[in-house]
Amino acid sequence: MATTSKNLKGIYRQKKNNATGGITKSKSTKKASPKEAATFGSDITQPPALVSHGGALDLKDDFDEEEQVLRQFDMSMEYGPCLGMTRMARWERAQRLGLNPPKQIEHLLKGGKVKLDSLFDGRI
Amino acid sequence: MEVDSQKLQRKQSTYLSFDENFEIQKEVYRGQQYSQIYFARLHMMRTLLYSLVPNWKPHVPVCKVLGLELGKVCIVVGTLYKHMKLKPCILDEYSKERSATPLVKPHNFMHQDDYLVLEDESGRVKLSSAILSPSVYVTGVVVALLGKETSAGDFFVEDVLEAGLPPQIEQPLKSREDKYVVFVSGLGFGSSSANPLQFQLLVDHITGHLGDEEEQGLAAEIVHLVIAGNSIEISRGLLNGQNLDSKDQSRLSDPIKGLDILLTQVAASLPLDIMPGSNDPANFSLPQQPLNRCLFPGSAIYNTFRSCTNPHCFEIDNIRFLGTSGQNIDDLTKYSEAKDKLEFLERTLRWRHLAPTAPNTLGCYPFTDRDPFLIDSCPHVYFVGNQEKYETRLLKGSEGQLVRLICIPRFSETGVAVVLNMRNLECHALTFGTQFS
Repeated sequence: MATTSKNLKGIYRQKKNNATGGITKSKSTKKASPKEAATFGSDITQPPALVSHGGALDLKDDFDEEEQVLRQFDMSMEYGPCLGMTRMARWERAQRLGLNPPKQIEHLLKGGKVKLDSLFDGRI
Repeated sequence: MEVDSQKLQRKQSTYLSFDENFEIQKEVYRGQQYSQIYFARLHMMRTLLYSLVPNWKPHVPVCKVLGLELGKVCIVVGTLYKHMKLKPCILDEYSKERSATPLVKPHNFMHQDDYLVLEDESGRVKLSSAILSPSVYVTGVVVALLGKETSAGDFFVEDVLEAGLPPQIEQPLKSREDKYVVFVSGLGFGSSSANPLQFQLLVDHITGHLGDEEEQGLAAEIVHLVIAGNSIEISRGLLNGQNLDSKDQSRLSDPIKGLDILLTQVAASLPLDIMPGSNDPANFSLPQQPLNRCLFPGSAIYNTFRSCTNPHCFEIDNIRFLGTSGQNIDDLTKYSEAKDKLEFLERTLRWRHLAPTAPNTLGCYPFTDRDPFLIDSCPHVYFVGNQEKYETRLLKGSEGQLVRLICIPRFSETGVAVVLNMRNLECHALTFGTQFS
């Protein structure tokens, strides 16, 4: 089931070819179905890796910078345990106990489309 | 013959309840664990202890458990955990080798090999010390410790700082008149040892139906009755999951009906507070919620009838009362030792926590943002119900606090109620006997 070496270029990071820098368009991501492979062109067992940003893998799925900041808030010990509380409730508790949690977190939670539950919610 | 139509008036008093701290109607359970309540407790107590440390040991650095260095003397604040060999552990049931674990649980789980561990959010460290005795402390107490880390990795404790008695709002006691509060607990309606006649005598005495004018005059000075738990005892045989026939159903409700009849007589005459206890039909974990008013159709109509939480905190004429139905002190008895129950009461005040063993060995609601058992303001009267005998002591604090500590005995076994004079915080016992010797 291994892909032939012809397809590996699409999976692994390529060195930038142009010396001038800048973003290069990604190489062709089409995987030519190899005659010898047992999968006969099916992608179920090995879906094509998401390749963008000049050949780098996008492993972040639905997690962006805002979520990163909120996860740092979840993991910081001084505001107490994060399990079993919404992030807003935990922020408010920290505020009430005089721990001065960063205002930025409050704005993020009230503003945008961010996950209201902590990092481990539903997973533990 | 001229009838003396002068009626004796009962004295009045003001009443304020502080039970909303113990109510859980607004709490929502979101799957949280007990780490939240421990965090709230540690944070509140640590802030307090940090403010007391400069007066205790100035110029000594304060650090967290993870910041301990070998040989460096410092102060560290954390929650104590007592490792107890004999404490029943759920995992023992699954252990392959069935060692000689006794079937009958010991009354007290202490062992000479018990040791203390100090824990905060960064880590934990085993404590070794000559002055910190594991028999005095229990899991859940927050203290400040002065000492240094040894080469064995322990923290050798040289001195301990407890939070001490909380500040008390001073009440001028001199310019008062005699007003009495009666405490009773463990009425045990429905149990085999309860004698309804004894409680009827108590009710008759309080409501002024007993004795001559002088007795009635004394009864008119009683302004409040507090019933501290275990008013009902339902036979365990009825609660085995079987369907009940009508005879057993009446056995289930008769104790409550009997209690209601007597409480109606009391409520018609003076304000009363009834607290739930470990045997009463209320929730198991602390803080126990007030008994449902539907259980008392006769007495709940009166506005003098108050169903209260356990623990219960209230003020009468600006004198602050705080007390429980006994579960907190009974749990301390199982996991530590003291010369008498009053010493346990004193320790909980010095630790500023009503029930430090909650939630470790005492059932407790998993609060997320606060610990309702922390004592912020020192009460003037601190009571515990359902104890073996009547004991009382006046405790004097280092900042002029004055607390009357009271152990209320089980009425069904002893026939003893406690009467407190609010003028001078003096206490005496009221004994009712129905045996003719």
